[in-house]
Amino acid sequence: MFSVALRIISYDKVRSFITLLGVIFAVSLIFAQMGIYLGLMETSSIIIDSTPGDIWITSKNCKNFDFSQPLPEYLYYHVLSTEGVQWAEKLIVTWGIIKQKEGGTEQVEVVGYNPDNGIGGPWAMKVGDMREVKNGNFAIVDESAMRRLGDIQVGEYREVLWKRLRIVGISEEVKSFTTAPIIFTSYKLAQKLDPNWIGPDKTTFVIAKLAPGYPVEAVMSNLREKLKGVDVYTKKAFSMKTRLYWTIETGVGFSFLLTILISFLIGMLIVGQTIYNSTVEHIKEFGTLKAMGATNFDIYKLIFSQAMINALLGYLVSLVITILSVKLYEATDMVMVISVWVNFLVLGLTLIMCISSALVSILKIKKIDPAILFRG
Amino acid sequence: MNAAIAAKELTKVYAEGKVEVTAVSSVDLQLNEGEVIGLLGPSGSGKTTLLSMMGCILKPTGGSLKIYGSEITEMDEGTLPAIRKKYISFIFQGFNLFPALTAYENVMLILKLKGIERSIADRKTQGLLSEVGLSQRMHFLPRDLSGGQKQRVAIARALAADSPIILADEPTGNLDFTNGRKVMEILKALAGEQKRCVIVSTHDNRIEDIFDRILIMEDGKIIKEKGRLS
Repeated sequence: MFSVALRIISYDKVRSFITLLGVIFAVSLIFAQMGIYLGLMETSSIIIDSTPGDIWITSKNCKNFDFSQPLPEYLYYHVLSTEGVQWAEKLIVTWGIIKQKEGGTEQVEVVGYNPDNGIGGPWAMKVGDMREVKNGNFAIVDESAMRRLGDIQVGEYREVLWKRLRIVGISEEVKSFTTAPIIFTSYKLAQKLDPNWIGPDKTTFVIAKLAPGYPVEAVMSNLREKLKGVDVYTKKAFSMKTRLYWTIETGVGFSFLLTILISFLIGMLIVGQTIYNSTVEHIKEFGTLKAMGATNFDIYKLIFSQAMINALLGYLVSLVITILSVKLYEATDMVMVISVWVNFLVLGLTLIMCISSALVSILKIKKIDPAILFRG
Repeated sequence: MNAAIAAKELTKVYAEGKVEVTAVSSVDLQLNEGEVIGLLGPSGSGKTTLLSMMGCILKPTGGSLKIYGSEITEMDEGTLPAIRKKYISFIFQGFNLFPALTAYENVMLILKLKGIERSIADRKTQGLLSEVGLSQRMHFLPRDLSGGQKQRVAIARALAADSPIILADEPTGNLDFTNGRKVMEILKALAGEQKRCVIVSTHDNRIEDIFDRILIMEDGKIIKEKGRLS
């Protein structure tokens, strides 16, 4: 039946081309929306995901990575002394203003980490070394910040929160979900940059690594008992919390979901209408097959095969378009994540879209009365 | 001769609102293997209704209709497709060939649906298309065939199903006289060779001599029967 369906599709080239375009349009849009959404989500939690350690201690009711309240720094020592913790580290995330060369200002997200071990710092450097922020007013800027901050070279000075910082390195892969450029400094400098909010005795997060053989739940339970007024998350849970915050609280998720749904419906309508028209045009031929004893199921196979061919062809072309356009998105500072499971998910959605669009035709076939064949 | 179709007091009444219209009224007939029977009569005489009942497409409202001994009137609607698949093929005035499929593929499709093995189906299709004189055109699409050639493909398709009964509704209706006659001669020759029972509903008086028997209908009844075998 697949070969017969293929012949029917290839016979009416114009109609098939339009159908294929419809599927490609819908599927490419679904791919793009999913890819961009996942890219945004990956970006929103990229520092959590790229930082070693298993447990994150945050301020009470912290909603996400970017907006956390300061914690007393001594909690770090409590964490370090908790049974089952191999090591602990402090990390500061705060907000600041950077002065532009030409005089304007931009908001930046400042991440202060311990340059001795690099925990919470940049993990991929384009120029320089992540340890170079130690002992001075030094900063590392991510290359993705260039679009907002202009061309920044190592050795240049920039004013952040009214302090002159020398740029000592350019990092890679640290795009910000909030679009505010990310600037890395040493932990100590981050405390000094924002003395009113952070100050010398505060931090934003404490990250802990499990000692070998200790179950995460037991250590988290110890920490919860020992530390008051904080939240304790596994790394995965905090990453998910951050992603869900941006997905749900900001409406980003809903808007992506809506676009995916609309694309799905558009694709369904286009494929459905084409297959339905084709079914109506061939109603006498199908009727003849039924008159000669073909079952409804035999004819359903033919209709579904047409839908499957449209789905598979449309999906393959869309996949190629999506792969080719990933670089284009990157050029506009957007991250598009097309993982293997996204491929399978979109393939599944495409098949559901095309097969469900054939259901109206199936109803038509079900109702064919072979007696129409005798009505001229 | 074996009776392919036997009808007794066969009746079909359509209910149109509160009015009942009798399309076929108390028809008795017996149609045998190897016969080519013409069903003639003016429009509205009940030919198509009778053909539809014999084709197990319409259920009679009265009387008895047996296909190879099986009583159709007692069967439920769901059983009729199986009877059609086993015993009946159709040829229509409008050919009803898939335009996207070649002559060969249109015939093969029926064999595929019947689950015939590909190599056997291939041989059979080629053989039938050769028999209807289309060996040179079997890979042509219907749009590249003349009306007569299309009807010959439809005949090959009907024969491919190996059904002992072939019902043809106005098979020459879209053809000129020469082509119509040629198509009927092919149908008759093949039906005779293969001992099929062929029933042809037609307005075309010019092909009367092809038939072994002619049943003339008027107002839902067979008013006259003539022919060599009667």
